[in-house]
Amino acid sequence: MNDIPVFVEPPSLGVDRTLTNAAKLAAEGLSVRFSGLLAISDVTLRLARHEILGLIGPNGAGKTTLVNCLTGFQAPTDGRVVFGEEDTTGWSAARFRAHGIARTFQAGRLFKDMTVAENVEVTGVGLGLGLKAAREHAMALLGWIGLADKAQAKAGTLAYTDQRRLGIARALVLSPAFILLDEPAAGMSDAECEELMALVSAIPKSFTSGVLLIEHNMRVVMGISHRVHVLDGGKTLAEGSPAEIQKHEAVMAAYLGMEA
Amino acid sequence: MRDFLIRHQTPALLVAGLVIAAALGVLTGNETAQVTLTEMFIRLVVVIGLWVFIGNSGIISFGHIGFMGIGAYAAAWATAEPSFKQIMLSGLPVFLQENQYPFVFAILGATLLPALVALLLGAALMRLAGTAASIATFAVLMIVNSVYANWDSVTAGSSSIIGIPTVVGPWVAVGFAAGAVITAYLFQISRLGLMLRASRDDEVAARASAVEVKRMRLVAFVLSAAIAGAGGGLYAQFLGILTVDPFYLGLTFITLAMLVVGGMSSLSGAVAGVFAVTIIVELLRLAERGVPFGSVTVGLPLGSQEIGLGVLMALILIFRPNGLSNGRELVWPRRAPTDEAAARKAPSAALAGEAAPSP
Repeated sequence: MNDIPVFVEPPSLGVDRTLTNAAKLAAEGLSVRFSGLLAISDVTLRLARHEILGLIGPNGAGKTTLVNCLTGFQAPTDGRVVFGEEDTTGWSAARFRAHGIARTFQAGRLFKDMTVAENVEVTGVGLGLGLKAAREHAMALLGWIGLADKAQAKAGTLAYTDQRRLGIARALVLSPAFILLDEPAAGMSDAECEELMALVSAIPKSFTSGVLLIEHNMRVVMGISHRVHVLDGGKTLAEGSPAEIQKHEAVMAAYLGMEA
Repeated sequence: MRDFLIRHQTPALLVAGLVIAAALGVLTGNETAQVTLTEMFIRLVVVIGLWVFIGNSGIISFGHIGFMGIGAYAAAWATAEPSFKQIMLSGLPVFLQENQYPFVFAILGATLLPALVALLLGAALMRLAGTAASIATFAVLMIVNSVYANWDSVTAGSSSIIGIPTVVGPWVAVGFAAGAVITAYLFQISRLGLMLRASRDDEVAARASAVEVKRMRLVAFVLSAAIAGAGGGLYAQFLGILTVDPFYLGLTFITLAMLVVGGMSSLSGAVAGVFAVTIIVELLRLAERGVPFGSVTVGLPLGSQEIGLGVLMALILIFRPNGLSNGRELVWPRRAPTDEAAARKAPSAALAGEAAPSP
């Protein structure tokens, strides 16, 4: 998988993207409380451009809640999300994406009745492109991710791994500043995981996007992350390089008997 | 020109079908057929309006017949006899009381007033999602009905407004039906339409795709209210006499049945549903009236019309949940090309959700 072409962004398309050069996305002392229950508590995390940050933790550790906060789908009870130097409090999810913070979903959440190309076009149009420009951009992205031949198929008819890739393509429209991937490798075979790893590894360089990668598959996370952040019971348990995390005692304890 | 027609074949075929139906009706010279056709085209305008919102957003609205009523009254205020208005509608602004405006202004008012009301109500309603939004639109229908039934000095309350010039016949009605189809089509293939259809498939993913879902819904709500209102304006100037009663549950049920029968997710489905339900309702109406056999008249009991329509709707929902159109758009029948060729030749067909028509 060394032959992935470097993605070339189309020429300026009249979209206001002043903030997409922001150098960091950070959670500062984030807490989320659901009717008395603390889903995450006082989590601080910083994601830089050009890096892949792995986010791991047992089920119920609060990983998806954290991603929801970082993308505007969940308002934190305490703390704040900072993008560049901007406080994002009160931003809608659409506004997060408009400013270059993209995400995928664990459940895929494709637009099933629309074509593969349209799935990608929607984001382009949502970001202000005209239909024609959005279509051309979508085709370029689908070519990069290897779905060009299925562009006119209904998204709902795609094979499972192709659905995952389409979700990623949709999030990569107009090279976001940050992309948050929620368990992209779930349910994939070893060979498919290899392909996915190559794909995700290429994102920081090809799209100049920082990547936050939630993943249960340790081989994938440890294989491509530059740093790993560990959550357990809604709290930060550890953060460090993959090598450090793999030797970390508290992490080992949290995962003891939990490795799937 | 040829490429243009191939690319936009769905609205072209639909409009051609409408014009042919109108021409056939006029050629028969049969008064009843023409009245039925005119009424069908007016309903088509209303149903297309309904579809612009429901078909693209996926949210059922029970409120649009209210907008139709608002449009009908706006047209009546503009065109009814000044002598009648000065006595019966003394609450109207003086410029409406003293003048009788031409058709164009009446339709303009019938389009703009419901759009304005939809903008004000929609700004609040579109914050709701799914079933809650649908129920709120039902509240809109009830509120409009109550206001118009009781605001005597402006709507003549439970009595009727008379003296509206009846200028709408089959040709005028079919012209507006064609206009509604084209407007709805242009909306469907627009950027807004694409974003709204995405939110219909998955609202959360649409927000993650930078789509401001509430704003898109509001735009569609206002546009659809305007089209339904225009339908109301036509209706007033077709009947010549106006009461509040028709703009309530009965018509709400029939227009929704038309969408369900035809298939809500495609524009062609909305048109097909209007034709199918009109034909069935007319047949049942004939059967209710009875068919004479010698000295005996054999007929179905009164109410068969509603029952028949209800049964039809249930059958469609069970056996063909995507309606007669099955969610597809009308395309010229030809041999199915390969997906890729179809995509290159007819991007709009691909946009409409079907790359290749079935043979």
